[in-house]
Amino acid sequence: MHPALYDQVIEWLPPNARVLDLGAGDGAFLERLVKIQKVRAEGVERDPVLVSRCIERGLVVHQGDIADGLDQYASGAFDHVLLLGTFQELLAPADILREAFRVGREVIVAYTNFAHIRVRLQILFEGRTPITRSLPAPWYRTQNLHFLSVLDFQEFCRDIGVREVSRACFNTRGAVKFLPNLRAEEVVSRLQAGTLQTPSPKPYDAQI
Amino acid sequence: MGKQAGGAKNWFRLPAVSGRLGGRGSGEIMSEKQMLEGDLQDQVLGEYHSDLGVTHSQVATLPGFVTESGHEFKEIQIAYQTLGKLSPRRDNVILVCHALSGDAHMAGLNPATHRPGWWDFHVGPGKAIDTDRFFVVCSNVLGGCSGSTGPSSLNPETKRPFATDFPPVTIRDMVRAQAALLDHLQLPEIFAVTGGSMGGMQALVWATDYPERVKNCVPIATCTAHHAMQIAFNEIGRQAILTDPNWRDGHYYDNPDGARPAHGLAVARMVGHVTYLSEYSLRAKFGRRLQRAARPEDLFPDFFSVESYLHHQGDSFVRRFDPNSYLYLTKAIDRFDFLAGRETREALDQVRARFLVISFESDWLYPPSQSRDLVKLLKRHNLAVTYLNLPTPYGHDSFLIQNPEFSRALSHFLNQEYDSRAANTAA
Repeated sequence: MHPALYDQVIEWLPPNARVLDLGAGDGAFLERLVKIQKVRAEGVERDPVLVSRCIERGLVVHQGDIADGLDQYASGAFDHVLLLGTFQELLAPADILREAFRVGREVIVAYTNFAHIRVRLQILFEGRTPITRSLPAPWYRTQNLHFLSVLDFQEFCRDIGVREVSRACFNTRGAVKFLPNLRAEEVVSRLQAGTLQTPSPKPYDAQI
Repeated sequence: MGKQAGGAKNWFRLPAVSGRLGGRGSGEIMSEKQMLEGDLQDQVLGEYHSDLGVTHSQVATLPGFVTESGHEFKEIQIAYQTLGKLSPRRDNVILVCHALSGDAHMAGLNPATHRPGWWDFHVGPGKAIDTDRFFVVCSNVLGGCSGSTGPSSLNPETKRPFATDFPPVTIRDMVRAQAALLDHLQLPEIFAVTGGSMGGMQALVWATDYPERVKNCVPIATCTAHHAMQIAFNEIGRQAILTDPNWRDGHYYDNPDGARPAHGLAVARMVGHVTYLSEYSLRAKFGRRLQRAARPEDLFPDFFSVESYLHHQGDSFVRRFDPNSYLYLTKAIDRFDFLAGRETREALDQVRARFLVISFESDWLYPPSQSRDLVKLLKRHNLAVTYLNLPTPYGHDSFLIQNPEFSRALSHFLNQEYDSRAANTAA
């Protein structure tokens, strides 16, 4: 993801916030968050090698899939849940969002805009699955399961009852204000639950 | 107490284990590293040398100990080993809890057995638990047979070994005995407590029962309570001992012919040992390789290497372990139920420790699902828990063998926590 996008996320997070990063990778961003913003952060990552890197950075990290990771936490355990670049890899994004809103108050989602002009032109003129800076892997190697545009995401949020509080769009040259659905390569959105029904506490909660 | 097996000269060195890897008759010689798979106490060691050289353990006599079952000991003996230097602030103590077959001698060459300690791969200068940095303590559990008070110890009232008059011990009894030892050594603060399997259970009890003392807790390949399969395997082991004609209701110590239920214990160890390995380790180590050419006196043709290996495991275990201790300790593990009889919230809300929970994908005795249940329980009480499930293929034994990924995670966690702690106190 674009470095400016990460800067934007840091700006949205108040100091001392409790943050859960789903798909924490090697923990570089999470470490930065802890250092700069003094947040109380935890990560979820499925690759044991990357989990070890997170441990090396002194982070609290859970090895597991995102769904399994979310299930570990008590309701309302976090202020913010981050899904940066992992959102498109989720099999059932709506279900994950519901769980994320059970665990956290606000969810920050970053995704790649599939309606960017370069993507459109590649499909139109080359007739091939596009390969761009933000979508670097060919179709047979990409981790992405879903391809969406800014408009798609807006519609998705409306349909499941999630409120998009703020949105920031980026391309190689920086922030994009004008015609984001055409010009933005990467988008980050700050979401609140709105009318979304979060799952009732799991039976496990009864013990707590 | 000198119950350890005698001189190293008698070592039962089976050509199979130090011999070849791969299919029948493949002449490939195993590398030293491959030979070292498994418990350091019972493996053929090749040229392995401990970085610590010869180390020693000691015995502390602790007055007045009452077990959970209400038995009052006037005093107990606890064998222990310390490695490294205690910092002036006394804030660098790591307590290592051993598993079922372990003892206090965690690392360094044991002069009594001429073998390195059971966790020599991971405890030592520059190792995962760095003795240049930490003051590392390990003690033999109550009920054990390697220097601490157990069924083979003398009952001061009868002047004979306790045998089955020994009270049932629990994991919590073991932890209380360790706590008494640490009090005796004037070590109020534990920077980290760690252990695998039964040692992990002790580490968990430490975190909940002594919340003000424990800063970090690293339970490895363990669970909050045994499920039926784990109890089942232990019961097979116990039955092998109990039905050995030499067991004689546990009072075999003064059998006139000196006979012990050795065969029963060997069978128990064989069953146990298989559960510590994985399909992969057994296949890679032995395959269907034969141990030796057929002999006319053989009952059946084809004596497999894996059979010979298990015999070796059984035999070497018998030399260093007391059958009654095996009964008492396996029962303690089976009866362990982390938060049974306690208000979960109350017990966990006290806990201050930060956790690193480690499991191994190929561990079918303590499967990762049990570690995940533990992680969930802790996390849902808002404790800081890092969970790592390593893809090592060596089964439950993965924490006892050379395992770079495991070492790295453990050392990074301990060193990071210690550094940030030092930084916080400085600031």
